[in-house]
Amino acid sequence: MLKVDSLTIAYGKTEVVHHVSFDVKKGSVVTIAGANGAGKSTILNTIVGLHRSKEGSILYKGEDITRTAPDRLVSKGIRLVPEGRQIFAEHTVEENMLLGAYVEKDAKKIRDRMDQMYDRFPRLKERRKQIGGTLSGGEQQMLAIARALMTGPDLLILDEPSLGLAPIIVKDVFKLLTEIKQTGVTILLVEQMVDNALSISDYAYVLETGNIVFSGTKDEVKNSDDIVKAYLGNV
Amino acid sequence: MQQLIFGLANGSIYALMALAIGMVSSTTGIVNFAHASVVMMGAMVSWWMMVIYGLSYIPALFVAIAVSIVLNIVMYETCVKKLGDLQDNVGWIITLFGASIILDNIARMLFGTEPQAFPYLFGGKMVTFFGANIMLHELMMITIAVVIGVVYQTIIKKTRFGRAVRAVAFRPATSELMGIKSEKIILSCFAMAGAVAAIGGALIAPITFASYTMTYSIGLKGFAAAVLGGFGNTKGAFIGGFILGLIEAFISIFVPAGIKDSISFVIMIIVIIFLPEGIMSAKFFNRNLSAAEKV
Repeated sequence: MLKVDSLTIAYGKTEVVHHVSFDVKKGSVVTIAGANGAGKSTILNTIVGLHRSKEGSILYKGEDITRTAPDRLVSKGIRLVPEGRQIFAEHTVEENMLLGAYVEKDAKKIRDRMDQMYDRFPRLKERRKQIGGTLSGGEQQMLAIARALMTGPDLLILDEPSLGLAPIIVKDVFKLLTEIKQTGVTILLVEQMVDNALSISDYAYVLETGNIVFSGTKDEVKNSDDIVKAYLGNV
Repeated sequence: MQQLIFGLANGSIYALMALAIGMVSSTTGIVNFAHASVVMMGAMVSWWMMVIYGLSYIPALFVAIAVSIVLNIVMYETCVKKLGDLQDNVGWIITLFGASIILDNIARMLFGTEPQAFPYLFGGKMVTFFGANIMLHELMMITIAVVIGVVYQTIIKKTRFGRAVRAVAFRPATSELMGIKSEKIILSCFAMAGAVAAIGGALIAPITFASYTMTYSIGLKGFAAAVLGGFGNTKGAFIGGFILGLIEAFISIFVPAGIKDSISFVIMIIVIIFLPEGIMSAKFFNRNLSAAEKV
């Protein structure tokens, strides 16, 4: 589905990601774990076209998307749920969802998707006329995910979906991600707190200061004491 | 009554200018310091079209609108994108000011220094309105301004384009993630502001005469109105514009005309001191709104 090969990313002259390669197989959940400043968000922003890479290539469904603009990528089925949710706080919930479907021209499709989302997220339906800024953190995360699902993506990328949420709500978010996976959506996750992320993942990579230092299946990560101690806390 | 309509008519043009400044500043954070020159160009180009090419008012205005749209887009591409650094808020201030000076001098060379008489709409026809003689043109100024304001507000609030404009204003990067081309939205805002500038310039020119000095005599009042109403606040732009127009109209009864023009700036300074976010930020207007709802 997604193949990142020897990706190097720099801000100005400062290189922050060095020759990173990883694979996301169709229908799987992949986690990239790592501490603050490891370059996780930078990689995601580069995949979705917000940032230019210095070297390396990104292939999506066999097609080179290294230099593709964000709006084209949305149409191709890649959606990012950004770090900190970033909902439009002065737009209503419904307007946020409509913005999520911005590239979709077919009004009927938009309405159908909206109904599907309201079925899945009854809270958002209740609050559809409310402005986004008045939602709780958990509701905002649901909205951010619903907004991304409005175009029916094939690859859903989430940047720290658990950030700043109460543990009980984090559980809900990951339960939701499992459900989304079951509908055939491939998921790429980035997390600092990997306990939950790992539990739903098929494969994981550990990123440290711009380098991938470990990769393996969920069990391999859990069984690697060094990795667990050094990067992951208690799993 | 005459003073009231006169004040409202001028005020509606100030409002249009404030609205156009707000269209750009609310989406990009850029204050277009060359806006006043575009207003002037709108007036001068339509005058030229009428005098040199013998067009009538409306077709001439459309040419001026087209020219102003192009001017604004060119200014965005050169002054803001190429030369002005958006991260560092100094670049575009200087380049837009420079563009303003260039435009003023081009106008001076092309159109001369002499203020030119500018025809009224409806040939200056007067109507009697509550016992006062009022020019139909003045009523049209108010009507056109209000219609533009309402249409703009509706577009921004209700349409797909308007949602995208507000999204880009709030979070440009996240808007890109939605598939919105921020760049295109910003360009459209500059284009709309250019069109509104030309309309304002052509509407007020019969009253002030068309001249390259309109940049300062009229254009700057757009900034005063924008500050009064709060930058980027559509309703505020209208309230600011009308208040400014009315105060000027009534005060000119008592003070010599030369001082009149300074009044708007005195008001602006007072407002900046007491209500830095514009009069719409006063408690009076926000009694029933939560903080998040203030737009």
